[in-house]
Amino acid sequence: MEHDDRWDDQVRDAYRRPIAGEERAREQVIARLREEPAPRRSRWSGWWMDPDAIRMRPLLAVASLIMVLGIGAGAGAWWAASRGASIGSPRSTTVVARQTARGIGAFIGATAVTFVFRAPGASRVSLVGDFNGWNPEATPLRRATLGDTWIAEVPLERGLHAYAFVIDGSDWAPDPSAPLAAEASFGRRNSLVVVSEGGPL
Amino acid sequence: MIRILAVAMGTWFLIAPATSFGDESEEARLRARLGPELATQVIEVVRSAAAQGLPTSPLVARALEGASRQASGAAILQAVRRQASGLVAARRALGPNARPAELDAGAGALLAGVPEDSLMSLKRARPSGSLVIPLIVLCDFVARGIPAVSASSTVLAATRAGAADPALLRMRERINERILRGEAPMGASREGLRELLTKTDPGTAKGNPGREPRERRRP
Repeated sequence: MEHDDRWDDQVRDAYRRPIAGEERAREQVIARLREEPAPRRSRWSGWWMDPDAIRMRPLLAVASLIMVLGIGAGAGAWWAASRGASIGSPRSTTVVARQTARGIGAFIGATAVTFVFRAPGASRVSLVGDFNGWNPEATPLRRATLGDTWIAEVPLERGLHAYAFVIDGSDWAPDPSAPLAAEASFGRRNSLVVVSEGGPL
Repeated sequence: MIRILAVAMGTWFLIAPATSFGDESEEARLRARLGPELATQVIEVVRSAAAQGLPTSPLVARALEGASRQASGAAILQAVRRQASGLVAARRALGPNARPAELDAGAGALLAGVPEDSLMSLKRARPSGSLVIPLIVLCDFVARGIPAVSASSTVLAATRAGAADPALLRMRERINERILRGEAPMGASREGLRELLTKTDPGTAKGNPGREPRERRRP
């Protein structure tokens, strides 16, 4: 025990003893540092690039991540609601897989459905259906090179969808080549299209 | 223990918004498009359907369709309630495991006058395969003027014969062409079915309704 205390005292003394030339070396280091130009970092990029800029406990980090995701989901819900649409995100705009019997109607691709409609004399045609909240402004068809043919490609989720075409903003018409819904709830029948997981039907 | 709890809570927070996302979005859309009183009444029907495990998107779509077609509030509410009752009846006929698209199509058929027994028979004819296409073909027949009972018999006979979905859709197109040419809907459906049955080899497509049925070779 006595031996240990003595040893400790010796170590302490050795640390306290001034080192020869220590002061001069320190001045040299400070002078060199002053000569070196400061690294070029703007205030913002410096903060963003600094690995020690944010330090937090893992639990707080998880909570922050959940909060950010929650805000994202809320913003997405608000956007979808304000847009009045329920279409799924288009995974791809793939090739048309099959054409319906009469060449007009719904061409069903793997993830996208192309709607084609003949409307001679129309100045504007749009598509309404359960996939766009039946909003006549949501999905306008574009005029194809053949003058009276109108076309739109819409990504649809799998399942059964009812739809119709709106001509010049007021006249609703079903697709002449697609199956019709049995019931006409509001005076006119809708057309039906099925997007299946196995491909076009 | 605290770590496990934290992970469990984190997972729940991530999953919970995703599960409730659809309902909130649907209600927000209804409130945005309908008057406040009508929206509340429609939402009540939608929530009741959700509580029964029924698909709610056909009800929301029906209400939004009515709004876009500028139907009166009473007509919209009536259509939504009617659709909800159709979905209940469709589930009764098609069973608790019926897919949302089958219930939607089945409800349409029932509301157009197709007997519930016909849907049950269709289910028995295709116990494991999807009934969406047979039901859509059935709806289309009724819409084109074929009496509901005859339309049901035609689709049922074709399905029992093992006709797959593409064959049923082709039969629909042929019958539709006949009707457009001026044939009586009943006669057209009879001819369409006869045509299909002479080409379909019964039994080959049973249990595999997604595939094309084999056609009999002609001598």
